[in-house]
Amino acid sequence: MAKIWTIWISSSLVLLSLMVWTSQAELKFGFPTLVTGWFLFAVLFALSLFNIRKKLTILPLANSSSWLNVHLPVGFLTVGMFWLHTGVPWPLGLYEKFLTFLFYMTILTGIFGLIIQRSFPRRLTQSGAEYIFERIPLEIVEVHTKAKDLLLTCTQETKRDTLATQFLDHLDWYFQQPRFFLDHVLGGKKGETWVHQQCSNIETVLNPQERTYLQKLLALAHIKKNIDLHFALQAVLKWWILFHLPLAAALMTLAVWHLLVVYVYFL
Amino acid sequence: MDENKFSHNRNRYDRPDFPYRCGRGVLWLKPCHQGPTLKGTCGGTTECSPYLEGDRWTCNRPLIAGGPCEEGPTPDGKCCKQHPPCVPRHNLKTYRRRLAILTVGLIFALIWISWMADQLQPNYFSFDPGPVSSSHIKLAEKDGCQICHESHQGNASNWLKAAVTPADISWKCGDCHVFKGPVSLAHNGDIKKHPQLQDTHCLMCHREHKGEGFSTRTFTSGQCNFCHKTQFKSFSSGHPQFSSDYPHIKKDSINFNHVTHLEKHFLEPKHSKKAPKSCTGCHQLTKEETMGSGKFEVICAECHKPQIISKDLVLIRLPELDKNRIDRKTILKACGIQSKDKGVSKEDEEFLSISTDTPSLTTAYLLNIQEDDPEGYSQKLQDLILSMAQDSVMPIAKLINSHSPTPIADKMLAGLNPEVIKRAACAWGLNLEYDPPAKASFGGWHADLLEVRYTPVDHEDPVALSWIKFALSVVPSGEPDEMKRKRAIAMRDQMLSIKKGVGGCAKCHVVNETVLEGGNKVPYIHWGYKESKSLSYSRYSHTSHLDVQGKGSTCETCHVLNKDAKNKPALDKPGSKDKPAPLAFTSNFHAMTRQTCMECHTQGKVRQDCQLCHLYHLEPGFRGKMLLADDVAETLLQQLTTQEPPAIN
Repeated sequence: MAKIWTIWISSSLVLLSLMVWTSQAELKFGFPTLVTGWFLFAVLFALSLFNIRKKLTILPLANSSSWLNVHLPVGFLTVGMFWLHTGVPWPLGLYEKFLTFLFYMTILTGIFGLIIQRSFPRRLTQSGAEYIFERIPLEIVEVHTKAKDLLLTCTQETKRDTLATQFLDHLDWYFQQPRFFLDHVLGGKKGETWVHQQCSNIETVLNPQERTYLQKLLALAHIKKNIDLHFALQAVLKWWILFHLPLAAALMTLAVWHLLVVYVYFL
Repeated sequence: MDENKFSHNRNRYDRPDFPYRCGRGVLWLKPCHQGPTLKGTCGGTTECSPYLEGDRWTCNRPLIAGGPCEEGPTPDGKCCKQHPPCVPRHNLKTYRRRLAILTVGLIFALIWISWMADQLQPNYFSFDPGPVSSSHIKLAEKDGCQICHESHQGNASNWLKAAVTPADISWKCGDCHVFKGPVSLAHNGDIKKHPQLQDTHCLMCHREHKGEGFSTRTFTSGQCNFCHKTQFKSFSSGHPQFSSDYPHIKKDSINFNHVTHLEKHFLEPKHSKKAPKSCTGCHQLTKEETMGSGKFEVICAECHKPQIISKDLVLIRLPELDKNRIDRKTILKACGIQSKDKGVSKEDEEFLSISTDTPSLTTAYLLNIQEDDPEGYSQKLQDLILSMAQDSVMPIAKLINSHSPTPIADKMLAGLNPEVIKRAACAWGLNLEYDPPAKASFGGWHADLLEVRYTPVDHEDPVALSWIKFALSVVPSGEPDEMKRKRAIAMRDQMLSIKKGVGGCAKCHVVNETVLEGGNKVPYIHWGYKESKSLSYSRYSHTSHLDVQGKGSTCETCHVLNKDAKNKPALDKPGSKDKPAPLAFTSNFHAMTRQTCMECHTQGKVRQDCQLCHLYHLEPGFRGKMLLADDVAETLLQQLTTQEPPAIN
């Protein structure tokens, strides 16, 4: 933790030093934008190396968590540096607007990633279950199969198809694939409530033997709820980078073009 | 939780980096244990790949899929569990990589499209970082980016070459902008600079592409302290005191004694009705900065016109003559007079000069005669009188033109009636006074008894003006004849005399000295009224300060009359006590002090930053070629005449 704080404080100090230097350079009628621009570009480039580091696992370039610890405060540092460089939150030129849009979107997706990486793992642990994202389809098939087997046994033993009919009409939809995705991401309990509602509707017309099977079905629904939760949260954890990474790549590309234009026209 | 859940017998080996995933899993069906192939085809059409053991095909279905099946392979060695193939899908990593490549490609495509579109639209650049200021927008629209950015011209290779070639945009500003001093020196002036200070260039302060209303970087007073030796925090805290004569440092073009006018003349009963009621009776706001005076005809003429028309020029005066040197018959013939006519003296009468005066200084100069030596000047003067009797004004005109490199007599003698000259000459030639038929009540040329005079008709009288200009021009520095030079100076000094000069012009019009080549000083008269100019690098807006202390607040708030000030600018004659020292000047007002300004311009009240009163550039202007461009000139003219000056940042 001390290490993380050191990085945050260091980043803040760097930004503060740059601000002081910029104000001094402004007093001396200098061109601080040139320095802040190059600095910003270098920092953005260093941040983009994080993705390359994750691909080059064989190289001894510190572990990913260390990189992430640096990535976050330096990412915030770039926001201050960006405003220091541009002087305004929103520029006037069309392509500079686009460049700024890409920067803000990269930062926003980065902040979103930070939030979910800090909160979702805790929620996944609190669920008490553990599912590997790539195996979730198999887990769902298994739970679905168990539910259908349970209802077959129920029908055979009780000679009544009330529960089976209810399952086929309503609950089968729930067991087929992950449901209530957004509700799980937002931490709601809509899925659980829905299952309980479906079961309570039929519970009064079931005999005691069928109710035993209903309880077993509810236990499977609970497992399914946990799978859905894991799927939703892990999917968001994996999919957010689909926005962050391409935006960052586009930002770096346009930043290079920006540098070129500046050197051709101004320097 | 099932502890054996992740046992190798119940789970296949996951490959997260594998580019494909099972198509059945994507559809939320049971994924097969083999998974897709590296080429992306379905690997689960059979549940195993039987192997030949001896002469029998053996099932090798793994335990995670249920182990060897009961049916076993077919006789031809194929798996008996056949399934329709699925359509494998790419995994998340592949999508992520493709998306990143796509966006980068999209950026390149956008750049390329913009670049190509720019080729079709001249004077447009997609990568323009923002609109240029309103002062330059027309130029940019007309001539394109290359008016400032030379690198914009040429092909792509030149464009890329420019990336590694230093671009100096500042010098392009000089194509249109000019200053009184060098562009690259601080304040465009010959200011001694500290050796450590850098050269200045336009882009140090000026910014473009920041919007139509922005062309200069935001300034702070602290930036002035960077160069200036005298450093202070703000106007109210440390600014040096104004000079002891601020703001009346320079002599005005018109001598006007505010003290005598306000304290004496305007209070006198005979003038009080004509006197203005306040300062604005004479002074009106002419521009943003200055309070100009009204025209002579409006604010001065009522009192001062009679003084102008009461001061005559004496062109010729009949002086005391020692004896008659004019042939009697000749003059009688020239004048058409018979010797027996009434009033004509007898030829044998003893000559007694009718005049006891001296010649006028004008005549003395023109004839180059000693005005106090009748024996010396009589011959020349009587020759002139005789020729005037014969040819009227022509001899005088010839005499004047002989003293000028260009003929100027036509202007100096405009309106001079030949008949009057002839009659006066005839009278004087016969040693008689000329008796005019009527008094010259309306000014102009006239003869009266012993003189030919000119009375100015009005202010700015062209004849009087031409005589004064003549008098100023005929004092040659290299004149070998010392006496002639002295006479020229005497004539000039008389012309510039407040009391005796024609029109008394020097009473109001300031006489300054101009240094000519060789170090000779000659007087110079400021004819036109010049509005007071702000000091270099300074500005003051009267508009912003009128009524600043409430409606009707007076000018005396800042301009306090100095009743003790001596302001006697008259030039009488050389060496006299009231000869003006041309460059010496004492204002009628007390100097303004910093404390007066600080009543408002101080912390917490009104702005007090350096840029409020001080300018950076020295007399900025434009090159002519720029103003010749019609549309640009029109724009600038509109800006200069209609727009409010830009706010100081």
